[in-house]
Amino acid sequence: MSKRYDGSSIDLEKALTRYLVERRISRRDLLERIARVGSAAALAPVIAACTSTSAPSAAATPGASAAPQATTGASATLTPTIGPVQPVPEAELFIYNWTDYLADEVIESFEAKYGTKVTQSFFSNTEEAYAKLGDDGGGYDLSFPTSVDIPSFIERGAIVKLDRSLIPNIVNLGVEWADPGYDPGNAYSIPYMWWTTGVGYDTVKIPEELTSSKALWDPRWAQHISMLDEFQEVFGLTLIQLGYSANTPLLNELDEALALLKEQKPLVRVYSTDTIATMTSGDVWIGHIWGADRFAIQETNPDVAYYIPEEGGVKGSDTVAVFSGAPHPIAAQLFVNHLLDAQNSAANTNLIYYMGPNAAAREFIDPAILEDPTINPDQKIVDALEELLNLDAALRDEYLKRWQELRA
Amino acid sequence: MLPGVGSRPRIGAAPPPQGGILARLRGTALVLPGIAWLALFFVVPLGFIFIVSLGQRDALDRVDLSQPSLDNYARAFNPVFLPTFLNSIRYAAITTILSLALGYPIAYWISRYGGSRKALLLILVMLPFWTSYLIRTYSWMIILRDNGVLNSLLQAVGLTREPLILMNTDVSVILGMTYGFLPFAILPLFVSIDRLDANLLAAGRDLYASGRAVFLHVTLPLTMPGVIAAALLTFIPAIGDFVTPDLLGGPQTTTIAKNIQELFLSGRDWPYGAALGFLLMVVTLGGTLVALRTLRREVIGS
Repeated sequence: MSKRYDGSSIDLEKALTRYLVERRISRRDLLERIARVGSAAALAPVIAACTSTSAPSAAATPGASAAPQATTGASATLTPTIGPVQPVPEAELFIYNWTDYLADEVIESFEAKYGTKVTQSFFSNTEEAYAKLGDDGGGYDLSFPTSVDIPSFIERGAIVKLDRSLIPNIVNLGVEWADPGYDPGNAYSIPYMWWTTGVGYDTVKIPEELTSSKALWDPRWAQHISMLDEFQEVFGLTLIQLGYSANTPLLNELDEALALLKEQKPLVRVYSTDTIATMTSGDVWIGHIWGADRFAIQETNPDVAYYIPEEGGVKGSDTVAVFSGAPHPIAAQLFVNHLLDAQNSAANTNLIYYMGPNAAAREFIDPAILEDPTINPDQKIVDALEELLNLDAALRDEYLKRWQELRA
Repeated sequence: MLPGVGSRPRIGAAPPPQGGILARLRGTALVLPGIAWLALFFVVPLGFIFIVSLGQRDALDRVDLSQPSLDNYARAFNPVFLPTFLNSIRYAAITTILSLALGYPIAYWISRYGGSRKALLLILVMLPFWTSYLIRTYSWMIILRDNGVLNSLLQAVGLTREPLILMNTDVSVILGMTYGFLPFAILPLFVSIDRLDANLLAAGRDLYASGRAVFLHVTLPLTMPGVIAAALLTFIPAIGDFVTPDLLGGPQTTTIAKNIQELFLSGRDWPYGAALGFLLMVVTLGGTLVALRTLRREVIGS
């Protein structure tokens, strides 16, 4: 199904997807949008459309050859070729993305440069996205998997080895991103953006400077504390506070973390990933939040401050990868290259307030972002951050079992 | 839209269809699309769930069906799920009782005193469906939160000084669920009350029964099928309701549906989640059938 919406409903669809489910980025208030669009009754069909936005109808052949071949079909000949030796990009490109995770101008400049029409569909959590992407991309060319999931995508043959000749801008990556553990040499994926998880608090309700994650256990804020509804994040924060690895395989350390979380539970108001809603509701004064969410929170409540706990914190990163069933592999890889362009990378950072791995982009990034230690922390702090790993099934069961015991 | 709206059929079953084989065939043909629909979109997915529940998860979290077994069902009988299961039952039961208690008078009033505005009143009952359930649930958050509409009102009139903690509690979950399921209770109640022959009530009064006695001995027993239908239409979806407790609930309000969702998504263990889901369905269905049979025997007689 490839319906088109007018601008306002696309806007609203994005806002709703973002507002209603787990999101990481949001900047405007939903109700304001509803008011702008008109009657609330108009929402029902939009939501229906929202939930049924499916993969573009282009046929994706499962198990298609992993090596991207230039398919210079009838449609491709219509597009103007740029330069003498340039491979010809296809006429279309299907991107499956988080809501508001790409600057419009970056897409527009790509469309203008290559004559390729870009269609974006949106997801609001990775599980939903992965289910739809399946083992070949489910008809999409390109998506933004979380770095820790890349090994599994490679092993399943879901993403293709990138053709470096199409991605010359890879030189822009910072040295620390040249050889990540999840994908040595960035053979199959390119890092896109990274973020931290930490603590947000209302400086009016809590008029003191907080630095430790132990503040989330402070009985003075009882019934006004929120924790993420994500077991790896919650255990990660607790394990780090105890001085352990956020991905510990040791069950006694995990049990210790569980005991600490059980102590905290009576103080907790809500476990939720919708921290933009909880932190702006007035119910929650201090919450375990994704760093990037605070900008959306601050738009409603400017008194909210964010910090990375002094004990250390959790970081994560997203990649961009091309899928094995990609109907338009050339355009997809050219788009990856386009994203690595310094100015484009900076444009994305300036829109979404995530730091990217693009060293060349720094000079184009808004100085206010670069100066913010919670977005662009000192290397010393960055080095102390730990990435949540994709736990193997048996260990994940141990985490989940304890999580469900905590939540029961 | 609704059987019985605007008409008042007599009590008793419709006469069996007249005519020969041809007419009966025509009747069967009419039912076929419905059966096909249910088979395709209900039975087949249910079969899938059952098949998946027999499998194992492989190293890449895919479903491996090469060695089917009932292991996942053994795992699903896990005491860790008992508190959340009881939570689900409790919320569903309280929601059902509240929906019936609130819905019956409304349905009765619309049927008896609605007059020419009956259809309009019924549309009003269904009006909330015109807005997404999620939007309406988010509205409850705005009403119930610490500095929300209700707390501001209570403080403005001087009833409370500090905000009452309403959000993320049992109160908010039950309120939200009852609000959401009330129309499902009102509609079947209305149909059964509206079909009740007013002459029977008049006859009761003629025989010197008090208003209360007429209600208890005539109205209530004769509308019991509607009450049972309303209870089922509320209880069964309420037990599986995942959205309301998740959005309005707090640390103490985890339901079994949430556990199942976590096994599928966070746990990426589809076979385990499928087994727990299937088990929940069997338990709900079994419990409902037993309750129905008991009710029918005790209330309706026969």
